[in-house]
Amino acid sequence: MSLFWIVVRQLAEIEAMAASKKVIPREVWERKLNNVKIRKEDMNKLVMNFLVTEGFVEAAEKFCKESGTEPDIDLATITDRMAVKKAVQSGNVEDAIEKVNDLNPEILDTNPQLFFHLQQQRLIELIRNGKVEEALEFAQEELAPRGEENQSFLEELERTVALLAFEDISNCPVGELLDISQRLKTASEVNAAILTSQSHEKDPKLPSLLKMLIWAQNQLAEKASFPRINDITTAALEDPV
Amino acid sequence: MPVRVVLENTPTPSHVSAVTPRRRSVQSCTLLCAGQAFSGTQNVSSLQKDEAWRVNVRLQGCDLEHGYLCGTMEALNVPMADTPVVTFWEGEIVDARNYTFFTGKWEAAPEDDIRHWTKFTSFSPLLSQVEVDGGKSMDLSNYPYIFMRWKEQYFVNVGTDCGLTIAGFYYVCFSCSDGSISGFYYDPNSSPFQKLELKATNDGRSGFSFSSYELQ
Amino acid sequence: MPASRPSSDQILHRLSSSEYEIKLKAIREVKNQIIGNRTKKLSYIKLGVVPAVADALAEANADSDNGANLIVQSTAVIGSFACGVDEGVRAVLDAGAFPHLIRLLSVADEKVVDAAARSLRMIYQSKLAPKFEFNKEENMDFLLSLLRSENENLTGLGAGIVIHSCETRDEQNILCHAGSLEKLVGGLDGSMSQRDASLESIATILKNNPGAVSKFVELQNGRALRSVIELTRDRFSRTRLLACLCLICIKNSSSCFLQDIAIKTKLIYILLELLDDSGQVGEEASFAFSSLVAGKEDLQKLAFEANAIDKFYNHLQNPELNSKRLEGIFLALGDLCSKLECCRSRFMSLQVLNLLINALTHDEANVRTAACICLKTVSRSIKNLSAGYFMNERIVIPLVRLLSDLCTSVQVAALGAISNIVVDFTPNKSTIIQCGGIKELVHLTKSMDSSLRLNAVWSLRNMIFLADKMCKEAIFMELTASSVATLICDPEPSVQEQALALVRNFVDGCMDCVEFAFAENGIILDAVGRQLKKSPRIEIIIQGMYAVSNIASGNEFHKEAIMQMIFPQAESGPQSFLSQYLQSNDSRLRTSAAWIIVNLTAPASPGAFGRIAKLRNFGLVAQIKRMASDPCMDVKLRARVALGQIISFGDS
Repeated sequence: MSLFWIVVRQLAEIEAMAASKKVIPREVWERKLNNVKIRKEDMNKLVMNFLVTEGFVEAAEKFCKESGTEPDIDLATITDRMAVKKAVQSGNVEDAIEKVNDLNPEILDTNPQLFFHLQQQRLIELIRNGKVEEALEFAQEELAPRGEENQSFLEELERTVALLAFEDISNCPVGELLDISQRLKTASEVNAAILTSQSHEKDPKLPSLLKMLIWAQNQLAEKASFPRINDITTAALEDPV
Repeated sequence: MPVRVVLENTPTPSHVSAVTPRRRSVQSCTLLCAGQAFSGTQNVSSLQKDEAWRVNVRLQGCDLEHGYLCGTMEALNVPMADTPVVTFWEGEIVDARNYTFFTGKWEAAPEDDIRHWTKFTSFSPLLSQVEVDGGKSMDLSNYPYIFMRWKEQYFVNVGTDCGLTIAGFYYVCFSCSDGSISGFYYDPNSSPFQKLELKATNDGRSGFSFSSYELQ
Repeated sequence: MPASRPSSDQILHRLSSSEYEIKLKAIREVKNQIIGNRTKKLSYIKLGVVPAVADALAEANADSDNGANLIVQSTAVIGSFACGVDEGVRAVLDAGAFPHLIRLLSVADEKVVDAAARSLRMIYQSKLAPKFEFNKEENMDFLLSLLRSENENLTGLGAGIVIHSCETRDEQNILCHAGSLEKLVGGLDGSMSQRDASLESIATILKNNPGAVSKFVELQNGRALRSVIELTRDRFSRTRLLACLCLICIKNSSSCFLQDIAIKTKLIYILLELLDDSGQVGEEASFAFSSLVAGKEDLQKLAFEANAIDKFYNHLQNPELNSKRLEGIFLALGDLCSKLECCRSRFMSLQVLNLLINALTHDEANVRTAACICLKTVSRSIKNLSAGYFMNERIVIPLVRLLSDLCTSVQVAALGAISNIVVDFTPNKSTIIQCGGIKELVHLTKSMDSSLRLNAVWSLRNMIFLADKMCKEAIFMELTASSVATLICDPEPSVQEQALALVRNFVDGCMDCVEFAFAENGIILDAVGRQLKKSPRIEIIIQGMYAVSNIASGNEFHKEAIMQMIFPQAESGPQSFLSQYLQSNDSRLRTSAAWIIVNLTAPASPGAFGRIAKLRNFGLVAQIKRMASDPCMDVKLRARVALGQIISFGDS
């Protein structure tokens, strides 16, 4: 250690380099886009992947005939999967559970969260149909033990049972559980689990590609100004403002 | 049972050495071990005044394998300070394995290095080779002097506003035979060639005593 | 339909019905009731449903459509009973269903085979499943036929058997020689469940078995290894984790595999990313990370550069982490901070320490242990110790409390941390004394468990390093001289070594401290002398020699006591240990011996002349003269100092 001898030099030099953004004009951008070659077969595969993952069997069959693109999954299994999905969507949860168990008994045995959500959906359907006593018994017999096994299940169960406390369900704070969207949510969870058990990706590739497009555009926008796609349904290039 | 971490392997510097080939580290010396204490003075003479501080040094860790050692330095009767000022420092051992005579940082150019090392008489036999390559081809494992750089890292008992700076570092030469230490403080912004002179202390004993610890 | 409570009369009756429809319906009903439902499984097991279903299985004829249906359904029931419930596995085995399931693997109906293989796989996931004997030839034939199969459920079962039953190196070698690795590698191109099963069983065979690893890396000219590496990029997180575990087994078996920095970096990034998985994969990722970086400085450096510490810290900030995750993360951080100062600095600057302190009082013993282990490696930093980061009540109070934990592994881990943090280079150690630390530590030096004794003595030894006389006295009072003597002669050599190092530190410092060795009629000094004469272990002797040397740097009385220890009888007698150690092959031991001579001949003390004469009579001066050209510099320089002192009294 030492005493200061010379006054410390002023080192701080603030870099005030106002980095100006690069501007890419539309012609240049379009030329670049046109230079990117995408094979038709790849596009077709993407479409097919979307159809089979979402379960559009007939569309997939037609598309297969028209474009010659082979689906990457046995179309027969899609029918079974769709039957399960449909059963949940129409409120026949018990039926859905039996169908899943016929398809593969491991799915619900090794996926407690999915099993709980299906049972929860069953409870919701009982409440929707005004079967209060039955609902209470079901909650106690079937769902309460799951809640003991898992804290987050317990919280969801409490939320669901709260539906019973309200005369006018439309005004109930947890009323959204009765929405059709709740059924769709459960149905899509079952759909994903079946797909995974069949070693198939649970989500179609198309939406993630679109998400990636938006992310990449945002990244680029930090450094450059360029014509971008804002409306995905039209994919029109819009000039920067 | 716990895995023993022998002290030699304990404090590893975070840098990975660029010195090749791997040579033997300097031989261990009982006087340069954790727990050993030294005391003496640091000459802080400037053109205006002539003065010296009393200085105590305590080694806290030593890892020859990695060329590392560390400890505290206490300066007494420091002008303007009410209490002794204690700093924690870490050292690099010049072993041609982890470190060479060329500092390569801390604002020390090879010329600054040579200028300081040559102030130690025990360095003169090494000078010609060091001028060539910083001494990276030397075998220093049997040399009875150990050269080091000590760099203070933080003030232990005072704030940074204590009026002292630890921006610089010490060139140090340790004598293995009697444990005496000499050194020069280098900081382009402080007065040049402040000399450190220390001797091994023995707590009033008639002989030498060594304690030890071992981290797990 | 209401949730029907199983009632014995009904269901058992219907299960044993001779009518196909009734029976099938009953079995399906049980199936749909128990799948995913642990409570239902338990209540049906109590009712005795398992034997009834097993009977239905045994009686059914696989060749008829009806029989096949019954078999598929009852097999699914049995598999579900065995899934996740130990009582279920036991019931299934007791009901004798196991051999039937094995038999069904070879029938023609693929649906039946699939169902049986699935059920057996469930059973093999339990520890209770019967151990598969690999050393029987017919068993290996059976296993290889499974692994060779085209049917993914059969190969999955084969892999499951390997994962379940392969434990010893012999079993790994049998599997290896029988060519099972080749078969399992085939599964790496299969479906997700096949890939996972293959990866896990390959890892089981490779674990800690360098021979198997060498064979694997050369398989198909390295193509197998490349497939595993490829799978670290798989879209399923479990597959990525298992591929990483395989590579870690390979990496850990020998440093010559997977040296490529790109692969090492990749493993680190993948495992860090897998931490984000909210399920079991995320839990296991931190344990895998631990085994990857443990003891490997290069990997720790790479992990540091990948901001691993920040990543773990971010996870720790989630207040809802379960105990398994906490344990894994603290173990990973512990391994990460075990060697590199840059990691420890980052750990400190992120203030992970605050979260670690909370974990010290966690309900789960494994979390407490992991937190202590982490604290131990973080406190390996002399820089942080010297800065006083650990010696404060927030840390010391909970740590001292853990010394009386009911779980021994927690106690050992807490001692490990304490033994480091007491090295704070301050003289008084008041924080730990005020927390009652001395009493606890001393208590543990008397434990029946040798690892507790060792670590307790180790902690005390480190605690009195550079401690002042007050602190040493407080410890000595609690510990007592006779206990120190007992520890010096402990049955465990590592305890002896720490006890001698403890004595060495006790008698260092101010001159008064030497007196500790002379308490209770010198019982400690006697014990030290006994060890020096008889112990065969260098490490132990070195500590004892420095204890002696430190005492010999005391006053006249102390020096004479040491002379008495070295030369017990006046003139004759066997060769002294000092003379023996001056000639040791170990230079550290020669150094310590030379220091004793230096201290005994220190010219300022009045008795030096007499002692020199005695040393000369016993031939030690001649020995020292020879050592003036010792190949070890430290020895040589000490010998020269001693010689200089001896000569100053006149050489004769």
